[in-house]
Amino acid sequence: MVDKMPPSAETLLKGAAAHPPKTVEEIAKEYDLLPKLIPYLDRHLVFPLLEFVSGQDDENLEIIRAKYELLKHTNMTDYVANLWQDIHNSDSIPDEFVKKREEVLAKLQQYQEESAKITELLQDDDVVGNLRSDKVANLKFLEEQHHVTVDMVNTLFEYGRFQYSCGSYGNAAELLYQFRVLSTDNDKVSSATWGKFASEILTTSWDAAMEEVQKVKDSIETRLFNNPRAQLQHRTWLIHWSLFPFFNHDPARDVLTDLFFSPAYINTIQTSCPWTLRYLAAAVITNRSRAHKNTSLYQKQLKDLIRVVRQEGYEYSDPITDFVKALYVNFDFQEAQKKLSEAEEVLRSDFFLVSTADAFVESARHLISESYCKIHQRIDIKYVQKLTSILRSIKY
Amino acid sequence: MSRFFHGGGSDSETSSSDEEELYSDHEAGGDEEHSESESSSGEEDASGDEDSSSEEESKRKGANRFFKNFSESEESGDEDRQTVVKSAKDKRLEELEGTIKLIENAEKINDWAVISAEFDKLNRQIVKVAHSGPAPRIYVKAIADLEDFLNETIAKQKVSIKKMNANNAKGLNAVKQRIKKNNKDYAIEIEKYRADKVEYMEGDEEEEVEVKVERPRVRIDPLEAMSIADDEGFSTVGRHGKALQYTPESILKHLRLIVESRGKKNTDRLEQIRTMEKLLEVAQNPYQRIRVYLTVIATRFDLTSSSSSNHISPEQWKFAEREFSALLSVLEDNRGYVVAEGADEWEDDEKQPQPVPGEVLRIPGSVVSFVERLDDELTRSLQHIDPHTAEYIERLSDEQALYNNIVRTMLYVEGLGNTDKSEPRQDSINRVVMRRLEHVYFKPSQVVTILEDAVWKAIPSKMDSSITPRGNSVDVPALVQILCNYLFKYSDGIIRARAMLCQIYFLALHDNYYRARDLMLMSHLSESISNFDVSTQILFNRTLVQIGLCAFRAGLIYEAQNTLSEICGSGRQKELLAQGIILQRYSTVSPEQEKLERQRQLPFHMHINLELLECIYLTSSMFLEVPLMAQTSSTPEMKRRIISKTFRRMLDYNERQVFTGPPENTRDGVIMSAKFLATGDWKKATELLNSIKIWELMVQPDKIKQMLAEQIQEEGLRTYLFTYAPFYDTLSIATLSTMFELPEKNIAAIVSRMISHEELAAALDQVNDAIVFRKGVELSRLQSQIVTLADKSMSLLEANEKTLEQRTQGMANAFQRDQVPGGRGGRGQGRGGQTRGGPRLPGGQQRRPGGQQFGGGALGGAIKA
Repeated sequence: MVDKMPPSAETLLKGAAAHPPKTVEEIAKEYDLLPKLIPYLDRHLVFPLLEFVSGQDDENLEIIRAKYELLKHTNMTDYVANLWQDIHNSDSIPDEFVKKREEVLAKLQQYQEESAKITELLQDDDVVGNLRSDKVANLKFLEEQHHVTVDMVNTLFEYGRFQYSCGSYGNAAELLYQFRVLSTDNDKVSSATWGKFASEILTTSWDAAMEEVQKVKDSIETRLFNNPRAQLQHRTWLIHWSLFPFFNHDPARDVLTDLFFSPAYINTIQTSCPWTLRYLAAAVITNRSRAHKNTSLYQKQLKDLIRVVRQEGYEYSDPITDFVKALYVNFDFQEAQKKLSEAEEVLRSDFFLVSTADAFVESARHLISESYCKIHQRIDIKYVQKLTSILRSIKY
Repeated sequence: MSRFFHGGGSDSETSSSDEEELYSDHEAGGDEEHSESESSSGEEDASGDEDSSSEEESKRKGANRFFKNFSESEESGDEDRQTVVKSAKDKRLEELEGTIKLIENAEKINDWAVISAEFDKLNRQIVKVAHSGPAPRIYVKAIADLEDFLNETIAKQKVSIKKMNANNAKGLNAVKQRIKKNNKDYAIEIEKYRADKVEYMEGDEEEEVEVKVERPRVRIDPLEAMSIADDEGFSTVGRHGKALQYTPESILKHLRLIVESRGKKNTDRLEQIRTMEKLLEVAQNPYQRIRVYLTVIATRFDLTSSSSSNHISPEQWKFAEREFSALLSVLEDNRGYVVAEGADEWEDDEKQPQPVPGEVLRIPGSVVSFVERLDDELTRSLQHIDPHTAEYIERLSDEQALYNNIVRTMLYVEGLGNTDKSEPRQDSINRVVMRRLEHVYFKPSQVVTILEDAVWKAIPSKMDSSITPRGNSVDVPALVQILCNYLFKYSDGIIRARAMLCQIYFLALHDNYYRARDLMLMSHLSESISNFDVSTQILFNRTLVQIGLCAFRAGLIYEAQNTLSEICGSGRQKELLAQGIILQRYSTVSPEQEKLERQRQLPFHMHINLELLECIYLTSSMFLEVPLMAQTSSTPEMKRRIISKTFRRMLDYNERQVFTGPPENTRDGVIMSAKFLATGDWKKATELLNSIKIWELMVQPDKIKQMLAEQIQEEGLRTYLFTYAPFYDTLSIATLSTMFELPEKNIAAIVSRMISHEELAAALDQVNDAIVFRKGVELSRLQSQIVTLADKSMSLLEANEKTLEQRTQGMANAFQRDQVPGGRGGRGQGRGGQTRGGPRLPGGQQRRPGGQQFGGGALGGAIKA
């Protein structure tokens, strides 16, 4: 399910992100993680990110082109054709798009017919009622009673994939779910799980997505048990994909923070994608305001975070990790303050973090004054005021 | 010589008087031998007396002896030299016959004790007889018959219930064991004999005559002497004479002779080599030359096995090297011939294989093994040369030639690999790539660049490698990377592990600490290293040390100390790095083990400077230990943690001394510096530390010294604060700043860190820029003693409970019947827990000092595991 971006699009994006950072605005650009994230995301998942970038800037032709490159290989022909029009500033639609559209429709029709029987069966309450938890038995039952073959089940998978490619994620999720219930082919089931995960993300049904996270995690641990390299790669994907629910779904945050801090995943972050530390750091810091009920856990997370940020300092740093470092490693409050303002810029231009930017700044200020007060016996309030900019209400 | 030759050509009767002497000498020798055998047979008699059946034989033997003596004296008196010759030989043959007869007799009466004794004697005799010719046929007959009889007896033995007497059985077993071994050498002859017994014995006579006739000539030409071992070759030479000896046609035969004599005693390898050098001159086509080269190189390597030293002499090595490169160029020019392992041998010596165009002719042999052997021999000879002499450097300069050959072999094998993708082919590529890597990994880039440039100059310009293209040689890290990646991809097991270690070593050597560390961690070698062979373990240790040194250069003291502690803390650095053998006084090391150990030693140019290593280890230990000691001395209830035992021990030793002079060596320097650091005198500490001469050996001594000075300032400040905190109420940051010559901001940061990690009971006063120490937070003497008491009683309780558990294990219901001990223990534990928790709360000093809490922990942990 996971496609790699074609290299052309990637280079295109890298080119777009590599403008010399001169102004304050450009800080955000400098620390833009998009090029690093893209290789680990599905092309459909990249789309919202690009949309976000385009929403931020003015309608930028380069981004449209990037979108075009991105979606060229999908089956969302109408949209691609529109993009093409935008790029070339013409009203007519080239033949290839028309042709492709027809092909897609024909295919859709074909899949629909092929899978008609089985979908019908699965909608029948009697049949569903007879299904058990044992997949093999189910398959046997369906085969005996309703003449369902393995090929038919596999058609479900193909159809789901096709739907996904067309952009109708809801249908895709449903189909893949059905497939997963029936199929015994482990490879395809895990593919289907990834596909369903992506579909749930794109339809923003976060609870379902979180279920998929758990499933994917389990399958990584069990199925790829003796292939550490594939395990690493899959975990990297999982980390990237779960960024979507991470910052968009409140209940997911605790679960995912725990997941990211579990030894296997923190190792993955350190080994293959240190840039996700930004998200982890942001999550931990913003958690401060919510985690009052469980301070010891929070302290532990903070400590882990500091350790990892410190260890990875040679490999990755951005204003957010720098902030953590300045505050907890070097105890340089002015530096921390400076980094905080930079971090704010970065947050506001990050797709995942934009919604938490305010909470982050708020929590960060709390942290600064907290550790400042811990160390100092007498404090110049004016200094603190300068330091934290707003928080006058803090008293020793 | 020419006279001899002449004489050899004509009848042997006309030999000169020189020869006469020679023969009479020989005769005397024969006499001696005879008397020896006499005495031994006498012994035999004595031992045989107890067995009644052997008496008869002993009589016969006596008669035999008498007869022999008689005939000998008669012969020597009457006959001329030629017959004397005969008699000397015949005498032995007679002896032999006598012995054989004894054996036969003993066989009849099934007396294995006698057979065993006589068989031994027979073998002693045959060595002397066979010395100058092939084994006599009667001997072959005897041993063949004996073997048959032996088998028969054993077969009978199995069936019959009657047991042999002990003496007999012992003899039977002895013969059984020996005859098998013995008969192997004569397997062909025995076969012949068994095939046709009568004819074989008749042929015997002719052969003997021939041998006798040829003998004088044998003496004349030493070249022929070596070929005597094989009678077939012998006759060939005899018939053609010397002028025709080295013709292109006969090359293969000569080679066969040489190959067959390999491993046998008394072959003169130098002579063989000379022969082959001549053969090389006459060799016409590539096939012959390749064959000759293959044999001559192999023979040169064999030289070691005969000579007393275990490495070949530099001259021979150079010859071998030259011949090897010649072989390579022949092979490179003639792609139709391939030297491959496991190819079929060409059996027909008369005819030479004709290469069919477009088809590849395979010649058995292994280029890779040769180059490996060359490499090993160079290493071995470097091990034996004193590294501080010019000789060593001279020998080391041969490495370039060797490296050229390695790379060339690599190109060749790689070229073969392109045409044929078989398993063994890939294996040999891996091996040679590994060799190349092993010559590169421990050297700085500049040196490798020189090496590489020379290589590509030496290699014909038409040759190129697909693994390491010609142009790439400038970029050494890339080269190492390519070689390693190749091995990662195509090899497995030990070679892959070694490649990984080499790469890590190289990275560490070139100051890529993080990459080296990450690779080391990712390789997971520290978990499996104990399963590898010793040399790989040594490489692992070397790599570990190199990472540690690299961390130190990068200023990462904690990491450096952590990484080095396992190797350096053991006190066996020399052994672990294979850089010298420690002779332990009461060691139980057997000579074989010691020899192995010596073979493992690295040549000097690969050594890691042990003194520098120790210095670095002690210095980094100092930076960690001194503040820790200061901290523990002010808060005694903290557990006494020891980071480096070595360092502590040295410090203790130094303190125990009544008079301490100025530091004399590196170790003293570090320890003295540590003492000054402990008292807060950072300037003196820096001065002392930087005056250690060994820093000059590092790449950028000034940078290192500066780093050290900074570290001393910082750790000095921490030590000072730990040590003198109880005596201050407040301390101005500005004062500290002037004391330690650090910017106020840094001091504030360090103090903040200490406060935040609760190492220091204090707070900052921002208005006055001062540190305010909190009083009464640290435990009083009484309190800390209470804590100690609580701890001790706790452990006592636990021990008590454990003992109880052990005692009552036998009686299952001990607890049930008597609930009191368990219950009391449980209660006591609860109370103990409370008391332990109580006093600790205010201080909260259970946490570890901050400096050691972060960073590199992963590496340390992983490496320790």
